[in-house]
Amino acid sequence: MTIDRWLRRISFDAPTPFMKQLPAIAGFGLALIITVLPMRTPVTAVAYVVAAFVTVAAASVLSVMLPWRRLGPEWSIVIPVITLIAVGMLRLGTGGAASPFGALLLLPFVWIASEEGRINVVIAALGTFLVLFAPVIVNHAPTSPGELVRAFFSPLVYLIVAAVVNEIAHRVRQQLAAAEAAAAQRKMLLEQAMQASDELALNESRLKTANRLISSIWNAVTEQSVIGTDLNGLIDVWNPGAEKMFGLTEKQVIDAKRHVVDFHLASELEERLRAMDFRTTTLSSAEDFSALVDAVRAGYADVRDWTYVRPDGKQIPVQVAATPRLGENGHRVGFIFVATDMTQAREFARLKDEFVGLISHELRTPLSSILGYLELMKDDDEDPLSDEQLQYLGVAERNAHRLLRLVGDLLFTAQVESGRFPLTLTDVELGTVIEASVESARPVADAAAVSLVAAPRTGDVVIEGDVLRIGQAIDNLISNAIKFTPAGGSVTVGLKHDADHVVITVTDTGIGIPAVELSQLSTRFFRASTATKNAVPGVGLGLTITKAIVTAHGGGLDIASEEGEGTTISMRLPLKAAEQAEPATLELGNRTGE
Amino acid sequence: MTEPERKRVLIADDDDDIRALICIAAKRAGVEIAASVDNGRDALAAVQKGGVDLAVLDISMPGLNGVEVADSIRSHESTRRTLILMVSASVQLLTDHGVVADRSDGFIIKPFSPRELSARIREMLELEGSA
Repeated sequence: MTIDRWLRRISFDAPTPFMKQLPAIAGFGLALIITVLPMRTPVTAVAYVVAAFVTVAAASVLSVMLPWRRLGPEWSIVIPVITLIAVGMLRLGTGGAASPFGALLLLPFVWIASEEGRINVVIAALGTFLVLFAPVIVNHAPTSPGELVRAFFSPLVYLIVAAVVNEIAHRVRQQLAAAEAAAAQRKMLLEQAMQASDELALNESRLKTANRLISSIWNAVTEQSVIGTDLNGLIDVWNPGAEKMFGLTEKQVIDAKRHVVDFHLASELEERLRAMDFRTTTLSSAEDFSALVDAVRAGYADVRDWTYVRPDGKQIPVQVAATPRLGENGHRVGFIFVATDMTQAREFARLKDEFVGLISHELRTPLSSILGYLELMKDDDEDPLSDEQLQYLGVAERNAHRLLRLVGDLLFTAQVESGRFPLTLTDVELGTVIEASVESARPVADAAAVSLVAAPRTGDVVIEGDVLRIGQAIDNLISNAIKFTPAGGSVTVGLKHDADHVVITVTDTGIGIPAVELSQLSTRFFRASTATKNAVPGVGLGLTITKAIVTAHGGGLDIASEEGEGTTISMRLPLKAAEQAEPATLELGNRTGE
Repeated sequence: MTEPERKRVLIADDDDDIRALICIAAKRAGVEIAASVDNGRDALAAVQKGGVDLAVLDISMPGLNGVEVADSIRSHESTRRTLILMVSASVQLLTDHGVVADRSDGFIIKPFSPRELSARIREMLELEGSA
């Protein structure tokens, strides 16, 4: 067992030249022992014998010392060839053809013959022939015909044996190479399989993580209902938010094959279909469903207010975002409806409207008394007031009006914010409106020593709009410009138009707005640093309101300003009223306020 | 003939100061104050008693509001011809949805100028200008 284990440690797959030489070393070692033993060993020429052992020793040393890696495997046959020479000499020294050590010949012979390449068959045979024939050449001994035959016949046999050994070795090497290739391939496949398995495990873990994430998000959405349908509106997705909103479980809805329109207020769907020019006589659920997804089918995400109806009949105002649901190839396979319960928001908006209305009323009523009685005092013909008293009353009256305007602006702002911003559209001749605004602002401009100029009119410019609101917007711009222009400066109001738009510009030579603050003008109650630094009065609503009015008319407001140089505000309005000018939202702000 | 009978006006507003202001404006218009009340119920009773040519009604009043009083006045044959002038601080209430326009002969927004209110009353009652 121990020898077995020891042998197993030796690599026979790729033996080194020294390992191949080991049998020869052992053979010569045995021969040496036999030679020196006191037996009748026929040593005929001591010099040959010594030379033979020295040669084989040299070959063995070379087998260890030579740098085989650099030389290449084909050079390794040098060792058996030298060994073959040593065998020849040993044979010569121990009786020639009658030498007992002739069998040693086989060891280098097999080595040479088994090396890759047919040339080695020839080398092995030739070497063998020389070794066997050497005694005849060296000793010049008369040879019998039998010996001669043997000297020629044996090498022929050796040639055949060499060829056979060479072929067997060649085939074994081929089989070995094939086996090694197969083993390498098996190893590679195994590694690939292991890698694939690792990737699979990693993907599985990622998938599980993603699933957990999606699942936790899905379960966390309890305040929005998420309903998914196929292309026809049949529900196949029903989230916990929908369960909470409707009091129906996912299983109840999907098993019952419920349609999304079942949960909508029918009258709203009909109204929407009417708006879409559908016939309303025989409505099928397919047409009802069109009311929900018409915009999505056209390629838009659609956010719209609807009313959901619970199974108990309770109605829930919701805002629904409808989006397409895409399949693997990117085609639409259904729809997703994400709904937010707007009950609280609507109630809040209603309360806010009520509150603003109430505050507005409560502020206007005392102002009515103040202004009314001030006027009575001023109009008292029987007991006229002194000029000084009239002046004092004028101050009180002016400030009461200022307060009144502020209340009006706040109320208007609230109306715009809640989307209730009615416009009374008529034909408006802008030149007249501008002139009226300029004239009403003239006393203020005169008092501030600011020159106020309206650019000369070049004919009537008529647009469709709310004359009072447009006047209010221009008033705001002019009053702002005067407030921000130091004494000696000027404010110019211009009007020009092209085929589609009119542009009213109000240009001042005032203190200007820092460039970094221009974008912030779109914040309600915002006041420019130049306004606060110069103690210009205001709260920051005037431009908000102007912007809202302009937006409601389908127009836009552009502001260009340079600090210390002045400001130009351009109010662009369409010549024809926009078909559906949305009520303005209160995103814009004001640099001054009224 | 004796001098023509003066037109009689009812004034209803829950704010004492405003009510007094309307009364002064009405007197300056040369009309007689039939009644001056601070709630809708009394206003309706005063009109139903008869002899009121013009009712100046505030919209926001306790009990019956101005719109409800106007509805009642319009729905009774005996009071149907009484002129109605609505007063409110809410621009919205006065202009929205024709609520006021359908029920009254005119409206005026608070704060109002007493001078303009006098002129308005005279105009509605077709009185000669005297201010």
